[in-house]
Amino acid sequence: MKQALYGFLLFVFLALPPVANLLESLMIFHMHMQMPLFIVCGFLIGRFFQLKFPRFFAKWNTNGVPGILLFTIITGYWMLIPRLMDEAIASPAVEWFKFLSLTLLAGVPLRDSWRKLGSVGKNVVYGVFIFIFLAVAGIYLGAKNQLCNNYQFYEQKELGFGTLFVAVCMIIFLIYLLFTDQSEFTEAKPEQDCANSD
Amino acid sequence: MELALNKTQVLRQKSMKVLGAKVQDAQLSLTYIAVSFATLLLGGIFGLLQGLDRSGIMPLPSWLNYYQVLTAHGILMLLVFTTTFVIGYIYAGLSHVYGGILPQVRRMAWIGFGLMVVGVAIVVTTVAMGDASVLYTFYPPLAASPYFYIGLVLVVLGLWSVSAGVFINYHYWRKTHRGQPTPLFAFFAMGIFVLWFFASIPLMIELVTLIPWSMGIVPTVNVMLNRTFFWTFGHTVVNVWYFVAVSAWYVAVPKIIGGKIFSDKLARVVVILLVILNLPGGFHHQIVDPAISTGVKYLHAFMSMSVAFPSLMTCFAMFAVFERVGRKNGGKGLLGWYKKLPWGDVRFLAPMIAMIAFIPGGAGGIINTSNQMDQVIHNTLWVVGHFHLTVAMTAVLTFFGICYWLIPYLTGRVLTPAMNKVGVIQTIVWTFGMTLMSGSQHWVGLLGDPRRTAYTTYNGSEVAASWDPYELVMGIGAIFLLTAVIIQVCAVYHMMFRSPKGNTEFPIAEADDIATTPMWLERWGLWILLMLLDIGMAYAVPVVDFIVNAPPGSPPIRTW
Repeated sequence: MKQALYGFLLFVFLALPPVANLLESLMIFHMHMQMPLFIVCGFLIGRFFQLKFPRFFAKWNTNGVPGILLFTIITGYWMLIPRLMDEAIASPAVEWFKFLSLTLLAGVPLRDSWRKLGSVGKNVVYGVFIFIFLAVAGIYLGAKNQLCNNYQFYEQKELGFGTLFVAVCMIIFLIYLLFTDQSEFTEAKPEQDCANSD
Repeated sequence: MELALNKTQVLRQKSMKVLGAKVQDAQLSLTYIAVSFATLLLGGIFGLLQGLDRSGIMPLPSWLNYYQVLTAHGILMLLVFTTTFVIGYIYAGLSHVYGGILPQVRRMAWIGFGLMVVGVAIVVTTVAMGDASVLYTFYPPLAASPYFYIGLVLVVLGLWSVSAGVFINYHYWRKTHRGQPTPLFAFFAMGIFVLWFFASIPLMIELVTLIPWSMGIVPTVNVMLNRTFFWTFGHTVVNVWYFVAVSAWYVAVPKIIGGKIFSDKLARVVVILLVILNLPGGFHHQIVDPAISTGVKYLHAFMSMSVAFPSLMTCFAMFAVFERVGRKNGGKGLLGWYKKLPWGDVRFLAPMIAMIAFIPGGAGGIINTSNQMDQVIHNTLWVVGHFHLTVAMTAVLTFFGICYWLIPYLTGRVLTPAMNKVGVIQTIVWTFGMTLMSGSQHWVGLLGDPRRTAYTTYNGSEVAASWDPYELVMGIGAIFLLTAVIIQVCAVYHMMFRSPKGNTEFPIAEADDIATTPMWLERWGLWILLMLLDIGMAYAVPVVDFIVNAPPGSPPIRTW
C-alpha cells in the first residue's frame, strides 16, 4: 500500500500547475516524460485497487488481455492524435482528463495485466507499441506543416526523432528478448544448480 | 555431487592462494599497470611544470608552450593513466572471481593494449611536435593535426576490444552458472564497461567527423554538436573512474577492515543506477553554451543531479560498514567507533580519505550542475579545483590504495610494514598537496580567476594581482603532488620487483544477503535499454535543435 501512496503523491506533484506547465512547455517532454510519468503513477496506485477490488480484476481482467487493450487504446489515443496535446494545454478539462485517463485507465490496468500476460502476450504488446511509436515518428517527421498551435515546427521534429529513437531502442530490446535465453534469469532449483555445475 | 563441487571450489581457491593469480592474467594486468604508472610520472612532471608556470613561480622555456603542456598533462593523466590502471585492475579482479579469464578474452585485452599504445604514441607525438595544443577536450573549432584524431580513434578501438572481452567473459560465466548471481566484482565490471563503451560511441562519432575536417576535405563542422558528443563522453568517463573507486569501496574495503558488505542487493542497485543515470550528466559542462535554451538547462539540472542519489546510497552503506566494524572493535558512543578503524593501514587510509574528499567534491558537483550557480564559476579555476578534488582525490587516491594489495597479489609478493608506512606517508603528502592546490583553485575561482589560460597580469590589473597569492599556493601544492607521485611510482616499482615473496589475498568481502539477491538484477539488456531511453530523453531536444537550427559550421582554427 505504501507504493500506492507514493503513486498518489507523485500524481499530486505532477498535477501542480508549475510542474505541469514546465513539462508541457516542450512537446517531447509533454509526450515522452509527462504522460509516461502519469502511467507510472497509475502503475503504483494500481496496488491499492488490486487489494481493494480483487474480484473486479479477477472477473473483468482474468487473462490480462482486456486490461492491456484498454492501456493500448488510452496511450494510442494520446500519442496518435496531435491536436489532443494542443487541447490539453488550451482546456483545463481536457488536461484533467489526460491526467486521470493515463493514471486510472492506462497505469492501473497495466499493473494488473502485465503479470497475467504470458511471454507471447508481452512480445505482442512490444510489437504493437513499436508500431505505434513508428507511426507517431512518421506523423511528426513526415508532416510538412505545424501540427499544434502551441508548439513550433521544429519541436514536432524533435518529438519525431525522439520517438523514432525510442522505437529503435524497443526493436533492439525485442530482438534481445527473442534471441537470448531468458531462462538464465530465473532462480535455479537446487538440483538444477548441481546439474549445471557439472 | 554437491560434495564434488565443493571440493573443486576448495581446490581452486587453494591454487589461487598459492599462485597469487593466474600467471598469464597477472602478466596482462601488470603490463597495463606498469604503463599506467610510467604515464603518471610523465603526466605528473607536466603537471608540475604547468603549475609552476601558471602561478608565475617558474616560466616555461620558450620552446615549450603552456597549452602544449596543459594538453599533454590532461591527456596523459585523464585518458592514459586512468584507462590503463582501470583495465589492469578490472581484468585482475575478473581473473580472480571467475577463476581465470578466457584465452580469447585475454587475447582481446592484448589487442586492446597494442591499439592503445600505438594510438597514444601517435597522439603524444603530435602534441610534442606542437601540432595539437587543443587541450584534452579537443573539440572544435580548435583543430589539431589529423594524426591526433587518428591516434585517438585507435585508443577508442582498443577500449572497445577490452570492453568486448569483459562482455564475452560475463556471458560465458552466466551460461555456465545458470540461476546464480554474478560475483559482485564482476557485476561492477559489467557496469563500468557498459558505461564506458556506450560513452565512447559519441566520442567515436566526433573523432570520425573531425578527421576529414582537420584534413581540409570537409570545410566546416557543427561545433555545438561536437561539443555535445565530447561531453557525453567526457563527463561519463569521469564517472567511470569514480565507478571503479566505488567498486573497490564496496568489494575490497570491508574485507580489509574485517567487515562485511552492507548489502549485496544495494550495491547492485547502485551499479544499475550509475549506469542508467550517468550519460545525461555531461550536459552541465555546456550550461553556459548559448545555443541551448534555458528550459532545457533547467530540466537537465534534474537529470544531472539524479546521479547524486546512488552516491548518497553508497555514502550510507559505506559508513554503516565502518560503524559496524568500529563498534565490533570496541568503539563506544555516538562517534567513538571511528577511532577503532585501522587508520595506520594504507589499504584503508587511502580509500577512506578518497571517500571523505568526495563529500566536498560531490557538493561542488551539485553547484556545477545547477544552472544559476554554475554561471558564477563555469569558466574559472573553481572547475579545475573541482575535478582535481573528485578525480585526483576520490578516484586516484583509491587507485593508489588498491595498488598496495593488488600489485603484491599479482606478483606473488607481500606488503611489508615498511612499504605500508611509505604508503601512509605518500597518502598524507598527496592529500596535503591536493588540499593546497584544489583548495586555492576553488577559492581563487570564486574570485574570478579564469581557467584554461596561461599566466598573465592582464596589463597590471589590480584584480588579477589579487589572485597571485592563491596561484602561489597552487604552485606549492603541485610541488607536493609531484613528490607524492615519485613516492608512489617508487612504491609500485618496489612492490613489483623488490618486495619479499609471499601470498597476498585479493580482498573480496562477503555479504549476508547474497542468497536473496534476485536474478532480475542481472538483466543487462533491460538496463541498457533504460540507459538508452534516458540518453534519448536528455539529448533528443538539444541535438535535433543543433541540427535543424544549425548556424554556419566552423572551419578549422589554429590559435597557436
